[in-house]
Amino acid sequence: MATHSLAAAARTGDNAFLRAIAALSTLAGWCSAAMVVAAVVITCQMIFVRFVLNGSTVWQTEAVIYLVIGSTLIGLPYVQRLRGHVNVDLIPLSLRFGPRRVLCIATLGLSIAIVAVMFWHGVEYWHIAWDRGWRSESVWGVKLWIPYLAIPLGFGLLLLQLVADMVALLTGVDRPFNLESD
Amino acid sequence: AGATELRLSHQWSDKDVRHQVAQIVADEVAAADVDLQIKIFPSESLFKAREQYKPLSRGQLDMTVLPLSYAGGQQPAYNLTLMPGLVKNHDHAARLTSSPFMEALDKYMAQDDVMALVHGYLAGGFVGTEGCITAPDDVQGLQTRAAGKAFEQMLAGAGASIASMASSEIYNAMQTGVLDAANTSSSSFVSYRIYEQAACYTPPGDYALWFMYQPLLVNRSTFEGLDEAQQQALLDASAKAQAFYLEEAKKEDAESRRVFEEQGVEIRDMTAEEFEAWRKIAEATSYKAFVEDMDDDGQSLLDMALAVE
Amino acid sequence: MDPLLLAAIVAIATILVLFSGVSVALGLLIVSAGFLIVFDGMRSLELLPEIFFGKLDNFALLSIPMFIIMGAAIASTRAGADLYEALERWLTRVPGGLVISNLGACALFAAMSGSSPATCAAIGKMGIPEMRKRGFPDGVAAGSIAAGGTLGILIPPSVTMIVYGIATETSIGRLFLAGLMPGLMLVGLFMAWSIWSTWKTGDATALSAGRYSWRERLEILPRVLPFLAIIAGVLYAMYGGIATPSETAAVGAILCLVIAIVIYSMWSPRAIWSVLRDSTKESVMILFIIGAAGVFSYMLSSLYITQSIAEWIAQLDVNRWVLMGVINVFLLVAGFFLPPVAVILMAAPILMPIIETAGFDAVWFAVVLTINMEIGLISPPVGLNLYVINGIAPDIKLKTILMGSLPYVGCMVAGIVLLCLFPGIATWLPDLVMGDMP
Ligand code: NA
Ligand code: NA
Repeated sequence: MATHSLAAAARTGDNAFLRAIAALSTLAGWCSAAMVVAAVVITCQMIFVRFVLNGSTVWQTEAVIYLVIGSTLIGLPYVQRLRGHVNVDLIPLSLRFGPRRVLCIATLGLSIAIVAVMFWHGVEYWHIAWDRGWRSESVWGVKLWIPYLAIPLGFGLLLLQLVADMVALLTGVDRPFNLESD
Repeated sequence: AGATELRLSHQWSDKDVRHQVAQIVADEVAAADVDLQIKIFPSESLFKAREQYKPLSRGQLDMTVLPLSYAGGQQPAYNLTLMPGLVKNHDHAARLTSSPFMEALDKYMAQDDVMALVHGYLAGGFVGTEGCITAPDDVQGLQTRAAGKAFEQMLAGAGASIASMASSEIYNAMQTGVLDAANTSSSSFVSYRIYEQAACYTPPGDYALWFMYQPLLVNRSTFEGLDEAQQQALLDASAKAQAFYLEEAKKEDAESRRVFEEQGVEIRDMTAEEFEAWRKIAEATSYKAFVEDMDDDGQSLLDMALAVE
Repeated sequence: MDPLLLAAIVAIATILVLFSGVSVALGLLIVSAGFLIVFDGMRSLELLPEIFFGKLDNFALLSIPMFIIMGAAIASTRAGADLYEALERWLTRVPGGLVISNLGACALFAAMSGSSPATCAAIGKMGIPEMRKRGFPDGVAAGSIAAGGTLGILIPPSVTMIVYGIATETSIGRLFLAGLMPGLMLVGLFMAWSIWSTWKTGDATALSAGRYSWRERLEILPRVLPFLAIIAGVLYAMYGGIATPSETAAVGAILCLVIAIVIYSMWSPRAIWSVLRDSTKESVMILFIIGAAGVFSYMLSSLYITQSIAEWIAQLDVNRWVLMGVINVFLLVAGFFLPPVAVILMAAPILMPIIETAGFDAVWFAVVLTINMEIGLISPPVGLNLYVINGIAPDIKLKTILMGSLPYVGCMVAGIVLLCLFPGIATWLPDLVMGDMP
């Protein structure tokens, strides 16, 4: 815990694959931030239309919800790259470097597996929505495959970043759990 | 051998009439002693209100009680189950559930591997923070929250400004003045204590616009997978629950009228002329949009519903 | 299997997985998937993405990134320093004046930020170096900021109150109001302790040496105006009929960004990006946990664990205050290890029926729960504020920060006791402004 630092991003060394994935995750981070900004602007527009113009607000609520969900999912790989997803490293801290590395490989492996599950069934869910032409039930009736696309996209990109983390760990570019070696 | 267990999910508390309907079915089936159990997950404890239909149609959830119009984005035909002026009163609603219209709706449910066991409609009305909402002119320029897409279209057609929010937000929004008028079910009006913020209430009476079809649904394949005795027990239990549902639905409207009156809120009923005026607007807005939304059968389905006397 | 035995197995598995260093959100997904496969079959995995998406499909959640942007925008400007300096010039003659200024600045900043780490960072960047320069012990400097920063989630707006409001269907506007007086009470307790301890150690005169003329005191006041404008703007939007509490967050975010850009001339794209990067990092982390905790609570409910625990506790039939004591210990321990949002989402479905049956007020309980979560924020192993302090002053040892914040933890525990004795501290203001509970 004492060695934990929020400033530590994933290391890439001069590995081209790691750098490419890092760049992709950063791009995803920009998109995520842009979506939140869009949500802020739309919410203010909604308040303006309702309070100042006394007009109808039909599509804004749903648009904002989907933008925030999209921002969350698309932002996953970027935050993973920045090591921003909080963790509890009690067990790793109590281990020496060797077993700690093995534990890290195991947890990363499990993470990759669960994210792959989310990605795979996310693709499936997105496809059903596309195939059956599902729409949101509001008057706006947006086609649901558009917001649902964020599920496979976000988890897919997170999967890539996690695989990159695994590669960095196995090649010794990055340290297990971001901890200083003892 | 273990008994078959079906999982039923819904969004309401265990005091709500829709929970009681589910409970009657569960109790009756248990009493029939056919190795069938229904486990109820109330208050969105398993799935969120609007996230129940999809797992139901994929067989991940066995049963649910829900407003069918929640799934209107997946089956546009369901939007007819929350259409202004289509149902006049509870007895009319009961005739509608045993009409060719309901048979047609059954076919759409079958497409999603779903079938209805218990039919039932619940009614609702309008409240205003300043005055009464009975005629279309009353909503002119008011920030209004409507329950359902078709009602939003009709109210917008009458000149209201539409603000969309959950029914749980109505109280605060009326209190702070974000909202001037609202439309939802009579039970929600009471349970969210809207009478504290309303100046006038238009309860469902001889003429009411807002009726919502809220059946108890079962996954069709799951139902067909039961043995004959189990199926029969489920059908018998459902018939019993349906009779209870109709009586309770009527009582709820009367109860909401009583509570609002007791709290000193003005009560004003909708007249026949006002009802017709609303319906005219609905025809030009929500009915029209419904027919356009449906690929081809929209008009015939609407006619079927309108044909029920 | 007996549901309570199953509950114990799930609890042990969850602790092991979460302590293994995997991120909290992914850990919750892994545990959920594991138990769902065993008890509901492989096919139940199909549901995970739609449950995850469904838990985030809520308009009120929009306010989380927005209240975080508010804090990040202001934190990136000179505003924190201005606020801090103003308080210092006015409070310099009080014993331990600098600590008091820091705590006051944290409290004011908390009224603009929904998040504790953001509050901690905004005031700490200026406050910690300044206190150390003036000879305050490292422990006092870091501990007071760590503790003061936790006010971010108690004084409104608050991200954890939003999450609690969503999880328990409690009015968010009411919850915000409920946090205000207890927040001020904690600030008062923090300050009282600081004054007393500086006075007792005899540092009082040495550490309040700086002197400012009235002119210097008055000329700094205009620089505090942007803060007051933001706070007034947000309150007016929220309780004046312009917007619902969730929508107000957007107004606050815009106000803060505009003030940061116009008044503090934060023009460069790099500066704006750094605000967005910091807020994206925090809000994505929180929202990911919310979605994953949703999947976890689905698993608990599907396996009938939630219901069985609630039934079991209900039939224990113990005194309601014993029950409240046990719940507090549980929340404290959970808060040591997990971020507040995860604790609230995992505990709310189990605790709420118990709380209501025992006759406790849901709004009052939100405040008690939040103070418990504040303690968790400054305790290892997962103490988000500790990470922030570590980022600001990497040379201060964790042990020193912890010892420095320990007295403030004592103040928070005292605060909880006071709330139990006088529930009105939390419920009086919301009842006054919004009428009795609907
Ligand atoms: Na705050
Ligand atoms: Na902690």
